[in-house]
Amino acid sequence: MAEERTLGRTLPVGKTGHRTPGFWGVLALIATEGAVFAYLFFSYFYLLSQSTTPWPPSGPPPMQYAIPTTIALLVSAAALWWAQRSIRLARRGQMMLALAIAALLGIVYLILQLLDWNAEPFLLQEGAYASLFYTITGFHLLHAAVGVLILATMILWSGLGHITGERYIAIDVAALYWYFVVVVWIAVFITFYVLPWITPA
Amino acid sequence: MAETSSSTFRDPVVAEPTPELLHKLESMWSDAPGLIGWFSTVDHKRIGKRYLVTAFIFLLVGGLEALAMRLQLAQPNGHILGPKMYNEFFSMHGMTMIFLYALPILSGFSNFVWPLVLGTRDMAFPRLNMFTYWTFTLAGIFLYMGFWTGHGTDVGWFNYVPLSEHAYNPGWNIDIYALGMIFLGISTTAGAINFIATMFRTRAPGMSISRLPIMIWGTLVANIGILFAVPAVSLDFLLLWFDRRFGTDFFNAATGGRPLLWQHLFWIFGHPWVYAIVLPAMSIVSQALPVYCRRPLVANSAVILATILTMVLGFGVWVHHMFATGLPVIAMGFFSAASFAIVIPSAVSVFAWVATIWTGRPVFTTAFKFFAAEIVLFVIGGVSGFMTAAIPLDWQLTDTYFVVGHIHYVLIGINVFPVIGGIYHWFPKMTGRLMSEKLGWWNFWLMFIGINVGFFPMHISGLLGMPRRIYTYPAGLGWGDLNLVTTIGAFIFALGALLFVVNVVRSLLAGRKAPANPWDADSLEWATASPPPSYNFGVIPSVGSIHPLWEERLQSDDGRTILHEGLVLDHHHEIPATTPLDGEADVILKQPGSSFAPLVVALLIAGIFVGLLLGMWWVAGGCALALIPGLLYWFWPSAESGWAVEA
Repeated sequence: MAEERTLGRTLPVGKTGHRTPGFWGVLALIATEGAVFAYLFFSYFYLLSQSTTPWPPSGPPPMQYAIPTTIALLVSAAALWWAQRSIRLARRGQMMLALAIAALLGIVYLILQLLDWNAEPFLLQEGAYASLFYTITGFHLLHAAVGVLILATMILWSGLGHITGERYIAIDVAALYWYFVVVVWIAVFITFYVLPWITPA
Repeated sequence: MAETSSSTFRDPVVAEPTPELLHKLESMWSDAPGLIGWFSTVDHKRIGKRYLVTAFIFLLVGGLEALAMRLQLAQPNGHILGPKMYNEFFSMHGMTMIFLYALPILSGFSNFVWPLVLGTRDMAFPRLNMFTYWTFTLAGIFLYMGFWTGHGTDVGWFNYVPLSEHAYNPGWNIDIYALGMIFLGISTTAGAINFIATMFRTRAPGMSISRLPIMIWGTLVANIGILFAVPAVSLDFLLLWFDRRFGTDFFNAATGGRPLLWQHLFWIFGHPWVYAIVLPAMSIVSQALPVYCRRPLVANSAVILATILTMVLGFGVWVHHMFATGLPVIAMGFFSAASFAIVIPSAVSVFAWVATIWTGRPVFTTAFKFFAAEIVLFVIGGVSGFMTAAIPLDWQLTDTYFVVGHIHYVLIGINVFPVIGGIYHWFPKMTGRLMSEKLGWWNFWLMFIGINVGFFPMHISGLLGMPRRIYTYPAGLGWGDLNLVTTIGAFIFALGALLFVVNVVRSLLAGRKAPANPWDADSLEWATASPPPSYNFGVIPSVGSIHPLWEERLQSDDGRTILHEGLVLDHHHEIPATTPLDGEADVILKQPGSSFAPLVVALLIAGIFVGLLLGMWWVAGGCALALIPGLLYWFWPSAESGWAVEA
């Protein structure tokens, strides 16, 4: 072609910056997963409001695992924030370290949650409270396990050189999902571990 | 041009489409031939058509179930179906029509039409798009598994506890329904995410939010609603399955659960769902009816705002399905008032359509007739719904045939009629052939007479006290003649539907060839060939107004659309991404091409659900573990999907 016209503006190509549809996709995913948790909490408070027996039946749940869990998840969120910052400064090694810290803290949470289940004095089938407790914490556990797998994938991709100072959208998407997991944990923590101490049955 | 496909930035070429360019695009975008292409395609047009055909098959199956029930009820003491079989028929009928037909058929339209209307080449997530089709179809097969083997779900589509609990219903039937609905929810949610991201990010440059065609709005708003509504029903069915399978106590009153929790979660989903399956259909009418009135839609902005308001209010009316359950008066008063209020935005569309016809120059095509009839049926169904918002009347009418008449006017009137009209409208674009108007005349009148003869008498039999879901009734109650009329109407309607199928098949084989824009319509899908090439547009249009093809005659003071030249984007599967509000190009996206990953992942998820159903935990666990490599394969970074590794 003799005379080639162009748009006159240089556009980024491919998965660059924060501008991909994937970011919108994960926002929508968080909205819908957030709705699942909202309906779970709705079920919890609905059955609580209708309850004619002590709630929780065996008194407020033990805190010895819930508090370390909360700290671990908050620190993991901070580590991810550090990872996002590092890759924007093109410090890939530093980012991988931050990702690894976040993923390890995620695994710590998974273990603490299983220990917590082991310490609970009731089983899944023993009343509405027990059903809600294991379903909601279990659903959160599942989301966190998926989150840990995503973080592990990010470490793998970074190691293979797919994630660079220019193409880091995957890190933002993964971080957004993990922040969601942490925020939902705060709601779980307040609902199951804090409120029963404040408002005794 | 010193650029390579792996460079991070590019100033894209703007040119006219040359034959060489079109040839190049065709070789890039077209699928492999044969079965490989069929299973691996991610072409939104093929997916859209596949959705339409599959959902229509479910409509026919659900329709046959309805006809069997109408034969049974045609006379007192009918005995074609036994009580157990009848229960399965009405449950499967409701489930099929509401979940496997009503939304998927609209997803079919949206999948086919959206990228064309938006002036681009594909959806935001092409593989996710294919994944939603596979999961929809597999979930549909899953849900029908029990019906063929004598384990059909049999306690109605809203599946109330405690009747659906294990103690009262110990078979596979409810487990299949529960798990199948969760499975289907994955498909619906994934589809919603895709439409939302597509609307916000992948439009033609220049298509600012104020130039968005009305059809996009209805589907967008419905899909945002789906994001918040579907989780309620998926969770509801999950908790029920836990109750049935593991002995949890969510709905068991004896151990602290509450049966009403089921109803709350179900209707928190159920009522918004009604809007999810009518708002996109209404937006089909808003988009296509004005074409046959030869003028733009009256009060376009008001219709958009009313659409949004309807969806928002739709989340605040669920308790009107539960007026007869003994809730506090204050709560019922609130929800009754909200149910009255929702009439106002619903009526805005009706008045806008009437005004469009009134001030236009209608062309009485078959499509026009279906759209115009939709207005009539909407008003009838709307008024009977409005009546039941009044609590005392609702107490009288709940669980009677009045409600059955209402729901069928609403769902057939506002979903099936726009859908059939929409097929007449877009058939030439989808297939390159026109449908027969002569057969269309018979098709329309049989369906229109059929629905009114069939469903209007139901209001009267309901007022006379006929309860819904009875498998037979004794003589002498005064319902016999009305039921006979209803059955006759149902068969007239079915004959009309059959003629529609005949028309589709005949037109596919021997219909008149359609030009690019047979209806002289206004939106961008009519700017490309019928049927469109695999890449939709040789060069990406630049949009200047809300009616791109009517700009000359409308003399609008908005901008001018440029079709003859535009962004070339010929390095791979490239489309522009645009800013959410202003619609300015800000990224060149590299879209993935055909892939088996969506099918593989969908099959693995189906495997999980089969494993859960049969209690074969190792199957479910194995499929879940296999999802990890499956998803890694799907998402693995590749240079051609924009993941180029910088040297």
